[in-house]
Amino acid sequence: MLVSYNWLKDYLNLVIDPKDLAEKITRTGIEIADVNHPMEGLKKIVVGHILSIENHPDSDHLKVAQVDVGEEEPIQIVCGAPNVAADQYVIVALHGSRIAGNEKIKRSKMRGVVSNGMICALQEIGFDESVVPKQYANGIYVFEHMVEPGTPVFNELGMYDYIFDFDITPNRADTLSMEGAAHEVGAIIDQLPKFADFAPKAELPDWTNDFKISVDEELVPKYLMRKVHGVKIAPSPMWLQIRLWNAGVRPINNVVDITNYVMLETGQPLHAFDANVIKTNEILVRQAVAGEKMQLLNETMIDLDPKDLVITDGKTPVALAGVMGGLDSEVTDATEDVLIESAVFDGTSIRKTAQRHNMRSEASNRFEKGLNWDNTQKAADMAAELLEKYAMGQTYEGTCVGNNQDKPKLVIKITTTKINKVLGTELTTAAIEKIFAQLGFVTETTGEEIAVTVPNRRFDIFIDADLIEEVARIYGYDNLPSTLPVGQQTLGGYSSRQDKINHYKKLIEHLGLFETINYSLTSKEKAKMFTTNKNDLIDVSWPMNSERTSMRQNLLSGIMDTVAYNVARNQKELRLYEQGRVFDTFNGEFDEYEHLAAVYAGTDDPTNWQHLDAKTDFYYAKGQVEAFFDQIGITDKISYQPIQVSGMHPTRTAGIYLESQLIGLVGQVNPIMTKKMKSLDVYGFEINLEPILDLEIPTTNAKPAPKFPSIKRDLSLLVNKKVTNNQLVAVIEENGGKYLQNVTVFDVYQGEKIAPSKKSVAYQLTFVNEEETLTDEVITNSVEKITNALAEKLEVVVR
Amino acid sequence: MDLFEKLNKLKEQGEKEIKASQNEQVLNDIRVKLVGKKGELTQILHSMRDVDAEKRKEVGQAVNTVRDQFNQQLQEAKEKMAEELMQKKLAAEAIDVTLPGKKPNVGNTHVINIMAEDLEKFFIGLGYQVVQGPEVETDHYNFEMMNLPKDHPARDMQDTFYINPENLLRTQTSPVQARTLEKHDFANGPLKMVSPGKVYRRDDDDATHSHQFNQLEGLVIDKNVTMADLKGTLEVVAKHVFGQNRETRLRPSFFPFTEPSVEMDVSCFKCNGEGCATCKGTGWIEVLGAGMVHPNVIENAGVDSNVYGGFAFGIGIDRFAILKYGISDIRDFYTNDVRFLGQFQQEEAK
Repeated sequence: MLVSYNWLKDYLNLVIDPKDLAEKITRTGIEIADVNHPMEGLKKIVVGHILSIENHPDSDHLKVAQVDVGEEEPIQIVCGAPNVAADQYVIVALHGSRIAGNEKIKRSKMRGVVSNGMICALQEIGFDESVVPKQYANGIYVFEHMVEPGTPVFNELGMYDYIFDFDITPNRADTLSMEGAAHEVGAIIDQLPKFADFAPKAELPDWTNDFKISVDEELVPKYLMRKVHGVKIAPSPMWLQIRLWNAGVRPINNVVDITNYVMLETGQPLHAFDANVIKTNEILVRQAVAGEKMQLLNETMIDLDPKDLVITDGKTPVALAGVMGGLDSEVTDATEDVLIESAVFDGTSIRKTAQRHNMRSEASNRFEKGLNWDNTQKAADMAAELLEKYAMGQTYEGTCVGNNQDKPKLVIKITTTKINKVLGTELTTAAIEKIFAQLGFVTETTGEEIAVTVPNRRFDIFIDADLIEEVARIYGYDNLPSTLPVGQQTLGGYSSRQDKINHYKKLIEHLGLFETINYSLTSKEKAKMFTTNKNDLIDVSWPMNSERTSMRQNLLSGIMDTVAYNVARNQKELRLYEQGRVFDTFNGEFDEYEHLAAVYAGTDDPTNWQHLDAKTDFYYAKGQVEAFFDQIGITDKISYQPIQVSGMHPTRTAGIYLESQLIGLVGQVNPIMTKKMKSLDVYGFEINLEPILDLEIPTTNAKPAPKFPSIKRDLSLLVNKKVTNNQLVAVIEENGGKYLQNVTVFDVYQGEKIAPSKKSVAYQLTFVNEEETLTDEVITNSVEKITNALAEKLEVVVR
Repeated sequence: MDLFEKLNKLKEQGEKEIKASQNEQVLNDIRVKLVGKKGELTQILHSMRDVDAEKRKEVGQAVNTVRDQFNQQLQEAKEKMAEELMQKKLAAEAIDVTLPGKKPNVGNTHVINIMAEDLEKFFIGLGYQVVQGPEVETDHYNFEMMNLPKDHPARDMQDTFYINPENLLRTQTSPVQARTLEKHDFANGPLKMVSPGKVYRRDDDDATHSHQFNQLEGLVIDKNVTMADLKGTLEVVAKHVFGQNRETRLRPSFFPFTEPSVEMDVSCFKCNGEGCATCKGTGWIEVLGAGMVHPNVIENAGVDSNVYGGFAFGIGIDRFAILKYGISDIRDFYTNDVRFLGQFQQEEAK
């Protein structure tokens, strides 16, 4: 809401600097987003009287005007506006003037003819396109009355003003009016605002007996009409146009302008009907029936919803209540009698109708958020009086009433103790009473209990907490003490689950990975990749686009989006991870699981001058997974088996098992996926952390370091290609005896030196006896037992 | 010639030869010649047969002294040679120490989570529990428990991803507070918590909007928590994050779940409050919303609002990071350009 400082002066005695006032309002009530001084930065712009006009000798659209600008001699100005004409009073930017956009105007020649300035459109001196009267939108502005040539235009156009942009929160709709703004500012500067009374002369006879209004009493608590005869459509007087455009409203004609003006002043939206269209002499406000249609002011035909509230003439809808009038009942030049509607409609009903038909307006906004119920009659009277004054109207005696419910007076009792307890202050009862008085609230005090009568204009106040806010903001948040909560000590901290996750993330980062955060919402296809989850996706019911329809079931596809983004920017050495949630639904239940995933591409140190960089490959990625499990102490519970998962390489991917449960995968991303990423080889893993987080990992029970040396033996085996490391190690461990502590593969060879169906695998076996020194004999026996078993079970030849 | 004279001459000459020797081979020859079994000192001892019995002892002692001296000199010469050899070898091993070393790969936390962890740890220090909740929430906890019944106009302020009429992607992390408050046993003391996490709103992604972002909301409920406590808490947080020299101010605002509601501004860190493009000329930058918890929210959780009350605040983690680090486009957080992510590597050490 744009609030004019000059307009506020109608109600308050303002001497405070407008910028200081804006700061005060911001700190106590409503944020002032901006204070606009319309003439700021403009100079030497005056009213000119066009004495004569001729065509430019060398142009078919330029005109040469002789303009009286209050100097001894008229000045010559070349003008290209289509609507320029002799005898107009216009805006002239003189030589050396400054117009909007900090543009300087200088004497110049236009196609050989001297021009001593510029005749301006309103937009050229800073007016917003949306407030310029339609007839001047595509040309220069022409004053509608005589003005002394040479007079600066600023006062004439209402530019010597300060416009506050009230950024109103939804609860403070009471300030969506000048009256509300005046109450608010008055409370801040400790002045009670004064408002004028309105009473039309009402010289025509009572009309209320010849007209019938009935309404849906639940949805329309108030519905009043006044009737005005003989209005003449004309432009509004200058002062009214200025008030409207400074409030951001385009002046149209006197009747429309008056209804808008009354709404701006009182907050009460009005609607003017052409009375002659309501031939039934009847108004019925009801909900629409299915299949009903109507054509609105803006000429669109809409299908009414049975929940839309409509104004009808008893049968046919003539307006969409609170939102927009109908085309047929619009006030036109031919209108003789006008019906002024002032009503209160149910906010939710209006909001839904406005949403349904995508037609939010200044009026519907106020109905939605609430109105001052005390202003319904006042607004109708005010409009009638202004129509008498500025549209030659004559008002009929009497107001026709469809419904006029009263709001029960709300009295809230509150104590000084309670206020101080919530705010942490030591305000006296008298100080609190003073604040309520500033706000214009009537109070009655008994001891330290204050009974506050909430005026109808403050429809945002319901409970004592609302009153506490009023006290706090008028007292000033700056004046509150600053303390920290006292009371029983509490232990701060993470949950043990979160602690573990944080630790996992640090481990992963120490393995050289950069954390990424990707979107949870993704396409159906991506959401289902890189996972063996059979449960359904969680889909949003109204997605923004097909890329963001479903909650991810994996992290890898999001990380792959990040890979694609980086590869497109020539970043191809990538080590990225994400820790976050994946989602699924089963039997109507929604579930979330913490996952950890990473990808590797390129080499781990590409520019290393000693060439000590490692190319990332399957075993690189698996090594990182293994290191992670080592660090959290569950390596002995983990195993790997080949697996096929969508998005992954079919023969270079392992399922990760925690005991018998599949908890993740490690492998190469399917090269089909990375074709568009410059065919980069990408390796990665993804782990469901939930089963790991659930594990109880016991505290370490310390042992001394071994006293007796370990003994190592190497074993070189020739085996069939298909035999896996897992199989070999299993046989070795099974037959190694109780001193075999560790089995490590240290070489795998396939190639020319051995048969194509074979491979050579070498292991280092470590034996330890914690009790005494191992003898050669014991070890030789163990090794022999191992080699015999290998030969027997896996056709292994020891080399 | 007198034996003593001979011995003295040998002593001088031997010392000279030892000093002059250039390598171990020569030195060994000298050793054999001087102190070897058939060396010159031995010969002198042998020639003692011609000496008087009373003088023999004297000669013997003199010979031993010279032998000890030779042995010591030989040893020293040998060590010196070894030392010189080693020095020569090391000199030949010279490398360019200005070449870069082999650095291990070290990863990094995402800047959003650097910000989040910083805030979490700050609040842990103030005795707050960090509590997580579901991202797929119910309308009940996300809205109704937060004093936003169906048809509440303020729901328009939050465009929501609904899954069905009852379930949605949470638009705020405050439902975690409702869930925690509902379960809290005040016999164990006050409730002090923060709930960080992802939230979702139906916004088109652009430089200043993201359909996914992160919040950290705080809640303190006890018998005597005041608005002054809220003000003090917000001030210490703002100074912790944005610098001890920042000024703060509270402005009235509106949230359905708090009453009174405030927004906090900090003095602009670009211009120090003078007014610039960052603060749109106001000298202030809005950083968070807060307020005293609305009695309906407390009652909805089954707690008596006549006895218990407190404050809540909501911090936009993305917004804090944007302001603190001068980030110009919120999408940078989610496109994860490694060059963007890498620049925050040192932030945690600060």
